[in-house]
Amino acid sequence: MSSPLGPTVFVVDDYAPGRRSISRLLRAAGFAVTAFASAKEFMAQYDAEAPGCLVLDLAMPAVSGLELQGLLADRGSLLPIIFLTAYGDIPKSVQAMKLGASDFLTKPVNDEDLLAAVRVAIEKNRALRRDEEELSEIRAHLATLTPREREVLEYVVAGKLNKQIAGELGTVEQTVKIHRAHVMQKMRVQSVAELVRMTERCGIGGSVY
Amino acid sequence: MSWVTAAWSMNAAACLTFAGFYFVVWCKQRQSPAYLLFSCSAIAAAAISAFELWMLNSRTVDQYESLVRWIHVPTWVLTLSFVAFVRLYLHAGRVWLVWSIYGLRTLVLILNFIFPVSINFTAITDIRQFSWGGQLVSVPVGTPSPWGLLSSVSLLLLLIFSVDATITVWRHGDRRRALLIGGSMIFGAMLAWHVPLVIWGILDVPFFLGFTYTAIVGVMGYELSSDVARAAGLARELEISEKRLNLAADSANLGMWEWDIAHDEIWITDKGRAMLGFDSSEKLDFDRFRSRLHPDDRESVLKAVDSSLGTGAEYQSEYRVVLPDGQVRWIAGRGHVEFDGDGQPVRMRGASVDITQRKLAELEAARHRNEMAHLSRVTTAGELSGSLAHELNRPLGAILSNAQAAQRMLANGGVDVAEFREILNDIVSEDKRAAEVIRRLRLWLQKGEVQQHSLRINKVVRDVLKLIRTDLISQNVSVDTELARDLPTVTGDPVQLQQVLVNLVVNACDAMADCDTPEHQLRIRTGIENGGGAVIVSVTDRGGGIQVKEVEQIFEPFFTTKAKGMGLGLSVCRTIIAAHRGKLWATNNAERGATFHFTLPKDASAKEVLIT
Repeated sequence: MSSPLGPTVFVVDDYAPGRRSISRLLRAAGFAVTAFASAKEFMAQYDAEAPGCLVLDLAMPAVSGLELQGLLADRGSLLPIIFLTAYGDIPKSVQAMKLGASDFLTKPVNDEDLLAAVRVAIEKNRALRRDEEELSEIRAHLATLTPREREVLEYVVAGKLNKQIAGELGTVEQTVKIHRAHVMQKMRVQSVAELVRMTERCGIGGSVY
Repeated sequence: MSWVTAAWSMNAAACLTFAGFYFVVWCKQRQSPAYLLFSCSAIAAAAISAFELWMLNSRTVDQYESLVRWIHVPTWVLTLSFVAFVRLYLHAGRVWLVWSIYGLRTLVLILNFIFPVSINFTAITDIRQFSWGGQLVSVPVGTPSPWGLLSSVSLLLLLIFSVDATITVWRHGDRRRALLIGGSMIFGAMLAWHVPLVIWGILDVPFFLGFTYTAIVGVMGYELSSDVARAAGLARELEISEKRLNLAADSANLGMWEWDIAHDEIWITDKGRAMLGFDSSEKLDFDRFRSRLHPDDRESVLKAVDSSLGTGAEYQSEYRVVLPDGQVRWIAGRGHVEFDGDGQPVRMRGASVDITQRKLAELEAARHRNEMAHLSRVTTAGELSGSLAHELNRPLGAILSNAQAAQRMLANGGVDVAEFREILNDIVSEDKRAAEVIRRLRLWLQKGEVQQHSLRINKVVRDVLKLIRTDLISQNVSVDTELARDLPTVTGDPVQLQQVLVNLVVNACDAMADCDTPEHQLRIRTGIENGGGAVIVSVTDRGGGIQVKEVEQIFEPFFTTKAKGMGLGLSVCRTIIAAHRGKLWATNNAERGATFHFTLPKDASAKEVLIT
C-alpha cells in the first residue's frame, strides 16, 4: 500500500501525544505517515513532488497552521490541507477554507471522519497532480508548434473556417489546411472540440478578438 | 485626788488606749509588725507610768525597793520594742547600735535581778517625802550602785541611735518625720537623764520617765495614724477608680475577669457573665468557660492560654462562644499571667469584648469580596472558554485517536504488543491530563471558602501560563518570563492569585491586540521587594500604555476601555491583593506599554509546606 512513490500523509502538530495518536490511526488505516513537530521542521523537509496530503494543527506556537498554509500556497503546493483544531473558532475556520483548506476538523476527531477527509484529500491531490501533468503535457506539445502553427491554432479554437484564416493570414486555404493538420498532429488530438478544451485549460483562446 | 496622781494615771491610760488601738490595727494587718511593736512600747510606757505613780505614793522602803527593781521589766520591753520599731518603720539606725543597746539593756535587766536591791542601788535606806506640786511625793534615799552606770551607758547609746536615725531620715528627705519622730526620740532620750540625777540625789523631782515616753508614743501614734488615714484615703480613691474603671469597662462593653489558677476559680464582671451566658450567681472555673467555646475554636483558645502560661506572653485570642440558647457570639480576649516566686503561674487577669458585630461585618465583606472574585472568574472563564476547550479537547482527541488506532490494529490482525503498550500508556497519561484540566477548571469556577496556603508565586505564574496558553498562541503573544529563584513562600488562595495574574495577562494581550504593534511580547517577572519582606510580580506589555489622566482610575469599578468589558477585572484584582495584605498598582513604561505590579508579604512562618 505505502510505497515511496505512493501518497504520504504529513502530520504537523506541536502537541506530541496528539501527533503520535493521529499518526498511529492513519498508519493502522494503511496510510504512509510522516510527522513533524512544527511548521519549520516540515518546511525544512518539504518536497513539492511528494504526493499525499497535510494534516495540520491550527494552533501552534511560532508559525501557526494558517501561516504554514500561506507559505505553501505561495510555493504553489498541491498538498491539500486538513486542519485539525481542539477548538473550532469560526473566523479562523472561514479563513482557512477561503485559503483553500480541504477540510476543517475538530478534536476529538472520529476516525471515520478523519480517514474520509484524508481519502478525499489524497484523491484531490491525485486529481490535481494529474491535471498538473496533463497541463504540462499540453504545454510541452504547444511548445513544439511553430509560430505560424500557433497562430493557426488560435484561429481554429476561435471557431474560424480555413478560408477565413487564410484571409486573416494573407495566404491560401491549402496552406492553412497543412498547418492545421500539423497542429492536430502535434497536439495529439482528433477533433477541434478536443483541441478547444485543451487550449482552454492553458488559458489560450479569445485573444484574437 | 491631786493633780499628780491624775496626771500619771491619765498618762498610763492614754498609753494603754494607743496600745489597744494599734494592737487591733495590727491584728487586721499582720504583715506590718511596726503596729505590734508600737503597741508593745505603749503598754510598756503605761506600765512605767503606773510603777512611777506607785513609787510616788510608796511609804515603805521594802515596797520602794521592789518597785525600783521591777520597773526595769517595762523599761526593757520599751527599749527593745522602740528600737525595733525605729528600724522597721523608719528604716534607719545602725544595726551594731541596735545590738549594743539590746545587749546592754538585757545585761542591765539580768544584773538588776542578781543584785540584792536593784542595779541602781546597793541599798535604799530611807524614803524621803516632800511636797511637789501640792502633793506629798516619795523619792528614795540610799547608796547608788556604780553598776547603774551601765544603765546610763545604754541610755547614751539610745540617744546616739536616735540622733543617727534622725539624721538618716533627714538625709533621705523625709524631714517631717525626722523632725517629729527623731526630735521626740532625742527629746525623750535626753529627758530620761533625770533618772540617774534623781538616783544620785542631784535632782529633787519624782520620776517622770513615763511622760518622756508618752511624748514619743504620742508622736509615733500620730505618725502611724496618718498612715492609717492615708490608707483610708487610698482605699477611697481605689474605690472611686474602681468605679470609674467599671464604668469605662461597661461602656466599652468590656468584661473583666480574673482566673485564680491554683484554685481554678474565675471571677468575672456581670457584663462578662452576660457575654458568655452565665448567671450572676454561678460559680465559674476553667471547664465551665471551656464548655462555652465553639468546638471549632476550642483548640486555638486552649493553645493561646497554654502558650501564655508557658511563656508569660500576653494572652490574646478571638473565638466564638455558643450560648445556652444556641446563639453564637464572637469574643476577643486579652490578658496577662502573674507568676509566683517559683515561676509558677498563679493568676491570669484580663478583659474580653464582644466583637460579634465587627466580625459579622468582616465576614460579610469577605463574602462579598469572594462573590465578586468568583463572578469575575466566571466571566474570565467565559472569555477563556476557547482556551479551556482547547486544553480539554487535545487530550480527549489523543485518547480517541489512540483507542481507534488500537481497534483498527486489532481488526487488521497484526497486533504489535510494544505498540499496544505505548498506546495504552499514552491513553492513561492523556486521561490524567484531561482530568487535571477539569480539576483546575472546577477550582477556578468553585465558589468555595478562601483557602490559605503557603505557596510559591513562580508556580502560580506557570499554572496561569498553562491555563491561557492557547489564548496567548492564538493572539500571537510570546511570553518572556524572568522568575527569580529561591523566592520566599507567600500565604494566599492559589485560585484567587491565579485570577489576578490571568486578568493582568489578558489585559496585556488585549492592550497589544488593540494597538497593532508588530511585536506582541509580554514579560512576567518575579522578584523580592521591601528588603526581602515581600514578593513582587510584574506584568509588562508593549501595547499603547494607559491612556487616562490618572493611572489610579483604571482600578475603579466599572471603569473600562474595552468594548465588551464590564470594568470589574482590575478592581476585583485590587480587592483580592489587598485581602492578601499586598499592593497592586500600574505604571506606564518609559518606552511603550504599561506594567502592572503586585506585591505579597512573605510567609510569617518560613515553613516549607508547599501546595503543588
